[in-house]
Amino acid sequence: MNNIYIYDGSFSNLLNLISYLLENKIKPFNIKITTYNPSLFEQIINIKLKKNFINEDIFQNHHLLKTIYYVYLSDNENKEITIYYFLLNYFKFGNKVFYLKNLKCVDKTLKIAHLVSHEAHRFKGFTRFKELKNKVLYATIAPDNNILPIISKHFQKRLKNELWIIKDENRNIISLYDKKKYYIVSCDQFKLLDTTLSENEINLEILWKTFFKTVAIKERENKRCQMNFMPKKYWQNIIEMSD
Amino acid sequence: MVMNIKEKLQILADSAKYDASCSSSGSRRKNNNGIGNAAYAGICHSFSADGRCISLLKILMTNCCIFDCKYCLNRKSNNIKRAIFTPEEICYITLNFYKRNYIEGLFLSSGIIKSPDYTMELMIKTITLLRQKYHFGGYIHAKAIPGASEILLKKLGSLVDRLSANIELPTESGLKLLAPNKETNKVDKIMGYIKENRNNNFVPAGQSTQMIIGATNETDLDIMNKSENLYNRFNLKRVFYSAYVPVNTDKLLPALATPPLKRENRLYQADWLLRYYGFKTKDILNEENPNFNLLVDPKANWAINHLDEFPKEVNSCSYPELLKIPGIGVKSAKEIIKSRKYFQLTFKDLKKMGVVLKRAQYFITCGGKYNLNKEFFKKDFILSNLVIEEATTPMSNKQQLSLFS
Ligand code: SF4
Repeated sequence: MNNIYIYDGSFSNLLNLISYLLENKIKPFNIKITTYNPSLFEQIINIKLKKNFINEDIFQNHHLLKTIYYVYLSDNENKEITIYYFLLNYFKFGNKVFYLKNLKCVDKTLKIAHLVSHEAHRFKGFTRFKELKNKVLYATIAPDNNILPIISKHFQKRLKNELWIIKDENRNIISLYDKKKYYIVSCDQFKLLDTTLSENEINLEILWKTFFKTVAIKERENKRCQMNFMPKKYWQNIIEMSD
Repeated sequence: MVMNIKEKLQILADSAKYDASCSSSGSRRKNNNGIGNAAYAGICHSFSADGRCISLLKILMTNCCIFDCKYCLNRKSNNIKRAIFTPEEICYITLNFYKRNYIEGLFLSSGIIKSPDYTMELMIKTITLLRQKYHFGGYIHAKAIPGASEILLKKLGSLVDRLSANIELPTESGLKLLAPNKETNKVDKIMGYIKENRNNNFVPAGQSTQMIIGATNETDLDIMNKSENLYNRFNLKRVFYSAYVPVNTDKLLPALATPPLKRENRLYQADWLLRYYGFKTKDILNEENPNFNLLVDPKANWAINHLDEFPKEVNSCSYPELLKIPGIGVKSAKEIIKSRKYFQLTFKDLKKMGVVLKRAQYFITCGGKYNLNKEFFKKDFILSNLVIEEATTPMSNKQQLSLFS
């Protein structure tokens, strides 16, 4: 039987579970979220950890923590077990693990982390807010990875004195900012009642689209290049591309 | 009739769009309890139909101009619609675009209205409003107007992230011919002043400039010499190259059917070689070959002409040597240096580090192994393969290099 260890989906509990497994030299077949449906040859193991097994080292090492956190945010099917093997090697080799791309799990971890970081960077640019009647700025995004926590932090600094909401359609979660902190909650917990746009909104969108069309130099047209940088899958929420 | 803001935006964005500078990087300006901050790496917010990054609201204060530069849409002899923004109008658009995350900030340039000082004062008024009344902390790149007084330069520089002046044409003779009102020494003066005074509160993101390519008959060697000279003298962050787009017909201007994009691309590649790869202009161009080979990129061209220095063993050659290998970039080279301390690299590992093996394979060995039959280590063979490789890679992939700052 293949052992599948399960956790509740939170980053801290994943880290704790992996730390526990590593400490006890347990090799899981895979690690999955509680809702996972096992196959015929898999058996679910649910251990309730009562104490903290996480090695302090991990919290001291910013680069390491960020790398595994980004993998955790990815939509990769096997992200948990990837983090497990990466940490296993980290405790074996220390910081030089970041250069051991000849190890498959290291290469994979860094690739996934890079993907997430790249998508988050894109959404710092591609996110489009609309102003609602009540002055709240409202954006909808549909990223491949769960980059909402990363960009929330970005917009918290940038739009510090605005009220804003970003909704991730793909995950049905929402980030709410109240000029102090942002909260990420499920859309079931928070329903936006009135999404009427502010009076001026349409005019500003027209102004932006005018600018967008005007700056393209027609003698240099290169739609393929445009699409490379701004993939079609994101267009639905980028107002200058959506119509 | 008063012109509405949309019409103004159309006119003043249209006349600003030929400036190639797009970057919003290099500044760490913080949000000072208002709206906006800068992102050190810069952020692209959109891409226009020509594939160029849109980061800043790139506009002119006005397209009225007392000068008559031959290549410029705004020259005074052109019979076009003229417009001028009020400072409040620019603030309105900037803030509203910024709030919706359309842009990273403002790029403000201008035609010269009345006098250089008068024009700069208008720009200063606008940016002061943005910074002081509206507490705008986003990125601002302003163009200094040649001939304006030093006091104004000082003031503008203390408000913006990047301040720059365009050289436009690489040689004095080119300027005389096409921009008789412009003098290089005025641009030099601005650049010198910015270099001397730059600090965290004055032009923190540094200065850049641009040259128009193909409007005059300079060679690539002339252009690269000029760039090298500018980098050395003024610590410029970037030189931008803008393929000439014929907007006017004039007997002094070339009648180009299409802008020389390939040439522009080569110049960007060479520019990177100067700034990050330890090359000098004289390594890649000379009096006998004053122009780039349009079939292969400058680095590959150099390597093919120095085949006696190759193949290099990636497991032991030095960092500067790695940088000179086609298909190996700065990031990969750094990674190779780190990684090979721990294990011997194979071709497969190189791929994981971002090396473009299709190009690098001709010039390297890995653990003593050459990836191809040794008989193929010949100039003609390598050259033709690289030419084919380049011709079959879409332009859109290659531009990635030249557009990111
Ligand atoms: S000074 Fe500037 S705006 Fe005026 S004509 Fe020359 S290039 Fe154009």
